[in-house]
Amino acid sequence: MKKLIVALLILVVAFGAFGQAKPVIGALIRNLDEQFVADYAANLKVLAAKAGVELKLLDSRSDQATQLDQLNTLITQGVKYFVIVPNQTEATEQMAKAIKAVGGGAAFSNIQPSVAALKVGPNFFLASSPESVAGSIQADIIDNYFKKNPAALAPGKTINALFLLGQLGHPAQKYRTEAVKNGLKAKGYKLNVIAEDTANWKPDEAQQKMDAWIAAYNGKFNIVITNNDGMALGAVESLLTAKYTKADAKDGTILKVPVLGVDATQVALKSMAEDKLYATVLQDSVGQSSTAFELALAMATGKYKPGFKAWGLSPETKPGSEAPANDAAVIGQCYLVPFKAVTKENYKSFMTK
Amino acid sequence: MAAKTAAGTIEPKKGLRAFISKNTNLVTFVSLAILLGLLTRGRSFEWPSVRNLMIAESVRAFAALGVGMIIITRGIDLSIGYVVCLVASVAASFAQTSDYTAALYAGRDFPLWLPFLAGIITGGLFGLLNGVLVAYGRLPAFIATLGTMSVARGFQLIYTKAAVVGSLKDSYKTISQGSLGPIPNLALYVAAACVVIWVLLRHTKRGTNFYAIGGNAMAARVSGINVERETVAVYTYAGILYGIAGCLLAGRLGLANALTANGMELDAIAAVTVGGVSQTGGVGTMSGMVIGVLTLGIINYGMTYLGVDSYYQLLVKGFIIIAAVYFDMKKYARRS
Repeated sequence: MKKLIVALLILVVAFGAFGQAKPVIGALIRNLDEQFVADYAANLKVLAAKAGVELKLLDSRSDQATQLDQLNTLITQGVKYFVIVPNQTEATEQMAKAIKAVGGGAAFSNIQPSVAALKVGPNFFLASSPESVAGSIQADIIDNYFKKNPAALAPGKTINALFLLGQLGHPAQKYRTEAVKNGLKAKGYKLNVIAEDTANWKPDEAQQKMDAWIAAYNGKFNIVITNNDGMALGAVESLLTAKYTKADAKDGTILKVPVLGVDATQVALKSMAEDKLYATVLQDSVGQSSTAFELALAMATGKYKPGFKAWGLSPETKPGSEAPANDAAVIGQCYLVPFKAVTKENYKSFMTK
Repeated sequence: MAAKTAAGTIEPKKGLRAFISKNTNLVTFVSLAILLGLLTRGRSFEWPSVRNLMIAESVRAFAALGVGMIIITRGIDLSIGYVVCLVASVAASFAQTSDYTAALYAGRDFPLWLPFLAGIITGGLFGLLNGVLVAYGRLPAFIATLGTMSVARGFQLIYTKAAVVGSLKDSYKTISQGSLGPIPNLALYVAAACVVIWVLLRHTKRGTNFYAIGGNAMAARVSGINVERETVAVYTYAGILYGIAGCLLAGRLGLANALTANGMELDAIAAVTVGGVSQTGGVGTMSGMVIGVLTLGIINYGMTYLGVDSYYQLLVKGFIIIAAVYFDMKKYARRS
């Protein structure tokens, strides 16, 4: 018993000995199971170590209630400046208000904060690439594909698509899907959804769905569009197993139809190198985390001024089409990190050597 | 330490041991609270921290009280998470601001009682369904509630079209987010529910019946208890509690979506087990359930405060559940 008390006291003193001089930044992270979010968090840790910042990084495992609890806990610990990957846009205002109450600030990434959240104060920022842009870029890639291979289109400029969706209700599922559909329609295609269903981001579920669809719709679809690379690769496996292939890869894939993903994971890039996966989209985790971190650090060290350049990016000046960067009142708080199309031409540059 | 003590002072030790063995859950809770207090240099005893803990655990407390009663009757309920999720979505849909164009009922302004009524009815109906399936359908509770879990999830996605139900009225959010003096409203609701459950379990015939059924359903039937009716009652009461939980959760978050409350069944079942509600049925108290919720709450809070990696938090949670059930089984195996 005495030994236990001594051990506890030593532990307490050890905790107490941590210096208070370092700036502290809280990182509230939605869910480390998602590849993008995991990469984002990993880069934050690198940045914090380099800058000599104490980073308190917490994972809410996709639960907004947990994220609120974590925010409250960090606030009682005296943390004022945050980098946040929220669970839902609708919850950002409440979080911003809690942070404002202690005179702090935050930069939101990945999922957009609401306009109202940015209006809580000038110390709240968007440091993100809105999900819908990933969908729009998929639409651009598809447009290019069919321009190069018009014979692959069904009569009447028709795209017969199979959609593999992420977890239903997940913002990335919703916005990416809406944007690619709207993008294709805007480019003058007739979009015919042959089948769409969720595969919950998972390759194995995607493979099962695809197995069933190949049996049901053999020859009736000319593209497979997915919300992430994991599901895209599941679909690729299914098509390979069903010998849904052709002799050459002149159009960029040995599969009879192109398959598209989002994320540009390393396995996806390898699949592209093998002429299997057709294309993907990179959501720049390094760009988003660096922008958000530099904003939080600038606030914590008192160096932030309106117009501050974070990760070399200047804030937007003209309202765009997507919230919250569509509101003139908060446009100076919006830093838009570009998405990148990853295609045959450039995929090698994203591979880690 | 006991060996060093003189023979004359053994008597009070026995008393202390007896107290510890009888109140394991309380002793665990108090020791963890002290440990956390030391690790946080007293910060966890300060009011803002205590307040955070109360707010964080309130919704779970409702779910725990519900499933705690079910486990007393030797049942189980796996549908909690998605039922709470569905209820939160239903309640939220009737509490959206009327000028929100993406609202489920855009342009309509409903009175403040409607979301609660709709939510509690939804929860109650699911509880009733669970109860009927278990009592009259003779389905194992595990399977019946696994099925209704999926049904609730399906309804939630159909009802909301998988969208976030957001932009709730401030007046609705205040019900959850407000406070009476320094005490958060949520804690007051939990306190009220505790009183009701305590009276139900300790001072009504129905409460006694729950224990009797959990202890030995056959004997309960022989002694004249309508086991089916009481089983339906306990699941329905639990459903109503999930209903209240969902309504309050929507107000607390200011939104509901398909991910709201996912996995809450695990937290609630773990909490009541840690709180001494036995999986073998017939054993458990209201205060034990609340202590269980607070114990897991303090562990969660402590791990968050100390910045423990979330993956390790899952490990710790899992081990706690396994340990709690293990010791529970050992204790009652010995007794029987």
